Amino acid sequence: MAETVIAVSGVTKRFAGHTAVKNLSMTVERGGIFGLLGPNGAGKSTTIRMIMNIFMPDEGQVTVLGSTAGSRGLSSRIGYLPEERGLYPKMKVIDQIIFLAEAKGIPRSIARKRAIDWLARLDLTDWTARKVQDLSKGMQQKIQFIGALLHEPELLVLDEPFSGLDPLNSKTMREVVVEIARQGRTVLFSTHIMEHAEKMCDHIVIIAHGEKRVDGTLADIKRDSGGHHVALAFTRNADRAARVLQDRSLVSKVSDFGATAEVELAANETGDRLLEALVREGVGLSRFQVMEASLQSIFEAKVGLDGARPVAIREES
Amino acid sequence: MSKVFAVIRREFVERVRTKAFVIGTLLGPLFFIGMAVLPALLLSRETAGRKVVVIDAGTGEFGGKVTAALAAAKKGSGTKAEAKFVPTLVVAGARAEEVRDSVVRITGLSKRLDGSIDGIVMVSESGISKGQVTYLGVNVGSPRDMEDLRKLLSPVMMTERLRRAGVDPVVALGAVVPLGLETRKVSEGKLTDESGGATFALAYAMGFILYISLLLYGTQVMSSVIEEKSNRIMEILVSSLTPFQLLLGKVVGVGLVSMLQIGVWTTAAKLLRDFQPQIMKAFGVSAAAGGGMPFMLPSMPTDLMVIFLIYFALGFLLYSAAYAAIGSMCTTIQETQQAQMPVMLFIIMGLMSMFALLNEPNGTLARVLSMVPPLAPFVVPVRYSIAPIPIGELLLSIGSTVAGLLLIVWVAARIYRVGILSYGKKASVKDLWRWVRAS
Repeated sequence: MAETVIAVSGVTKRFAGHTAVKNLSMTVERGGIFGLLGPNGAGKSTTIRMIMNIFMPDEGQVTVLGSTAGSRGLSSRIGYLPEERGLYPKMKVIDQIIFLAEAKGIPRSIARKRAIDWLARLDLTDWTARKVQDLSKGMQQKIQFIGALLHEPELLVLDEPFSGLDPLNSKTMREVVVEIARQGRTVLFSTHIMEHAEKMCDHIVIIAHGEKRVDGTLADIKRDSGGHHVALAFTRNADRAARVLQDRSLVSKVSDFGATAEVELAANETGDRLLEALVREGVGLSRFQVMEASLQSIFEAKVGLDGARPVAIREES
Repeated sequence: MSKVFAVIRREFVERVRTKAFVIGTLLGPLFFIGMAVLPALLLSRETAGRKVVVIDAGTGEFGGKVTAALAAAKKGSGTKAEAKFVPTLVVAGARAEEVRDSVVRITGLSKRLDGSIDGIVMVSESGISKGQVTYLGVNVGSPRDMEDLRKLLSPVMMTERLRRAGVDPVVALGAVVPLGLETRKVSEGKLTDESGGATFALAYAMGFILYISLLLYGTQVMSSVIEEKSNRIMEILVSSLTPFQLLLGKVVGVGLVSMLQIGVWTTAAKLLRDFQPQIMKAFGVSAAAGGGMPFMLPSMPTDLMVIFLIYFALGFLLYSAAYAAIGSMCTTIQETQQAQMPVMLFIIMGLMSMFALLNEPNGTLARVLSMVPPLAPFVVPVRYSIAPIPIGELLLSIGSTVAGLLLIVWVAARIYRVGILSYGKKASVKDLWRWVRAS
């Protein structure tokens, strides 16, 4: 059995007038990438802050790397990128990274060498001696990312790591995360972008309104989500397709994106009758693929409209 | 420990590198030089002496003596000495008041008018019998000018009154001398070379250094915490360091910056004292010109220095920790204005108590205040500079201050721990109590 890195058991966190996390339990095992998914305001950051011992749970217990979070010496084994990004604006980039590494107990000379390597890898060498305030937001995010992993932690906790990044920077950072996971280290990251989670995560937990809705490996979740799914891409008469997709004897659920759609077939349907009906209506198709449910559709099914509705009370008190 | 050093280094280096620090550090010595040189410079640049009209309501005999005394008064010394007054005698007799009214009309006019008069000295027979002279002028509000005038005219008046009483002024004035009280301090049964004035200056300077440091740097600790909160870097910091490490590193780092700046200022002041004549010369004024204020820096015995450094460190840590806690309670600098009042109150009380116990350095009040941790850093060095404190009492005071320091740091760290991550409204007293009690 794989070693448990993070164990959250029966955790509840309340803030003035609202419960951010309700009786949440989940386990993160060593190695691989763990995704904590949920709509905005679902309680992802609160859960991560409890894992990082920034918030104390009102009920339940959080165990990280075998000890209750916050014990001394633990911080050097964990890297953390908080949702609230922040750096010292007047500090030089290199000094900033070295300071963050020193705060994790890395000697200065080693920190400097690693910082130079990472700045080169993330294409920031020209900015080494510049002040943080001169950098763009995306660059600052990369600096923080370096700060989170410079001490080579065995557990990396990233809260919405790719938000606000352009596609190229996002790709670079995703590659780094995958590389770290391949080295046998553990990555936990939160996101509300299903595409990232689907491509990267081995294990997923979806929460909404502070409650767990889904927990399992990506393969198991897709298998368990049941039914056959069909991905469609229309070339003409997409409006007529809408009529066919409303037929509940053929289709039980539809995610209609206009030029494309993903549908869940009704029970005992194989897809043949749907294809026949679409052709009969004169709908032009460039794609008709029977497949597993996408994470997006699973998310929509499990979270629903109600789960995505924000709670009208701020998270922090 | 290396993590605390990282925080200390960051706080120190980032602060020392700022323009504000460099300018502030250099301004100190310039300020001292200005204080020493400017008054002398201004006095020596004052050109012609004051134009004074002496109106004698009598025969003109006494008026003549007053005029002669005014004309003889010099400012500066040696060959550069210039006349302080340019007096003109008017023997007005019974028309004294009318003459006065006309002279008043040309007194205190703009300097550009050549005829303008600076002041009027009125003497009369009745004045001599009462020992009184009247001065009318624009500068009656200047205590120094009036003191000058009093010193100048006193002997003239006394000589006149003695002469009229039939006493030989030379004999009488020779016999009357003001009492010269020479003071030298006795410490631990030994006679020292310190005078009372030097002791007072030293005590005052020590208290003032602590006060300035707390005002300049204690508040920097506070604003630095607020900055970290508003930068949102706090979350990364607390995931790497314990709040206590962060608090300790910050307070010590800022404390070292403060000590560096004060070290530079003190060294500059000492150099200024040692090289005062040369510096004055460089500005083209003689040290004694116009009674230029000599810059006094009393020497500091080693034991007093040690006591001062111990209490300075304790006081700085204690107040900075409190300031850090206040910073963590607030989200903006504006909010701190009110929240820091209790701390300010203690600092001001400390400064005031220093003066209160100058007269009775070993009285009950002084002893009690020495045991109050927030006040002891102000009180004890001052007491020690005036009179020795029994070693037992000294140790007890240090002990109680350390205990108070630990208590305040403990409370501050607990407030800080929760406060640094709370945004939005300012914490209430109830919140603080909850934070302190939270495990």
